[in-house]
Amino acid sequence: MRKLFPAVVALAAILAVAPAASTDAPANAYCYIGWPSDGAVLPAGKPFRVWFGLRNMGVAPKGVAVKNTGHHHLLIDADPPAAGEQIPSDRNHLHFGAGETETMLELPPGKHTLQLVMGDENHLVHTPPVVSRKITVSVR
Amino acid sequence: MRLTFVLPALLAAALQAVPAVAEPTAAPENAQVYFIWPHDGTVVGGGKFWVRMGLRNMGVAPKGTAVPHTGHHHLLIDTELPSMTEPIPNDRNHLHFGAGETEARVELPPGTHTLQLLMGDKDHMPHAPPIMSKKITITVR
Repeated sequence: MRKLFPAVVALAAILAVAPAASTDAPANAYCYIGWPSDGAVLPAGKPFRVWFGLRNMGVAPKGVAVKNTGHHHLLIDADPPAAGEQIPSDRNHLHFGAGETETMLELPPGKHTLQLVMGDENHLVHTPPVVSRKITVSVR
Repeated sequence: MRLTFVLPALLAAALQAVPAVAEPTAAPENAQVYFIWPHDGTVVGGGKFWVRMGLRNMGVAPKGTAVPHTGHHHLLIDTELPSMTEPIPNDRNHLHFGAGETEARVELPPGTHTLQLLMGDKDHMPHAPPIMSKKITITVR
């Protein structure tokens, strides 16, 4: 009975996690911000381009279920959700569900963090998560 | 009497059939594909390098995906543009990125090489208008 208990707990945990499980991503998938660079100083009042880099994985619009693909999300002054969680859609979490691989962005003066996270066809973070390094830019 | 009935039917069938066969996928007028890397004139050492494919005002989608204003990248190496009304060939001079890739690891022998990007739709057909990059020349050492 005692031995069974951990097994039941483990099973329950698996069952609880299973519905939230998102799409698998290749272990070597690599997401990065090609531009701007970490520490970049950008002129205020002028939109700048952000390049989305992705290796060992492909881009697909939202709603498209193709293995080893996802679409880009740009997090501004926000932390990425965990694997399997849905990426919010607001001013701090920009979705690129049309398969875009770059964007123009304008930010208010000050320091801001930027980070890319891939989402699957349902905007869920992959397992394992495909996230870029978080960079900091200064808008002056 | 019979002829007057058949003729309009045939005409209608022909009108329906013709555009369906050859109609290419529309692309936004301001869509632009370009090389983020390498640049025209770049000298690459070692023969292996990453090609980073840039796309504006349009999205990337894997082959077989019918989403408006999307397509997938094709890298043309040492070749002229193919026909704009047929699927893009698939060989060593025409690399397909049907999995939605936006970067490619390319290895080329020493010498000068031309590179050009051309978007293809879900069926590997160039869009209307065709979305192609400038043709660049690189040197591999």
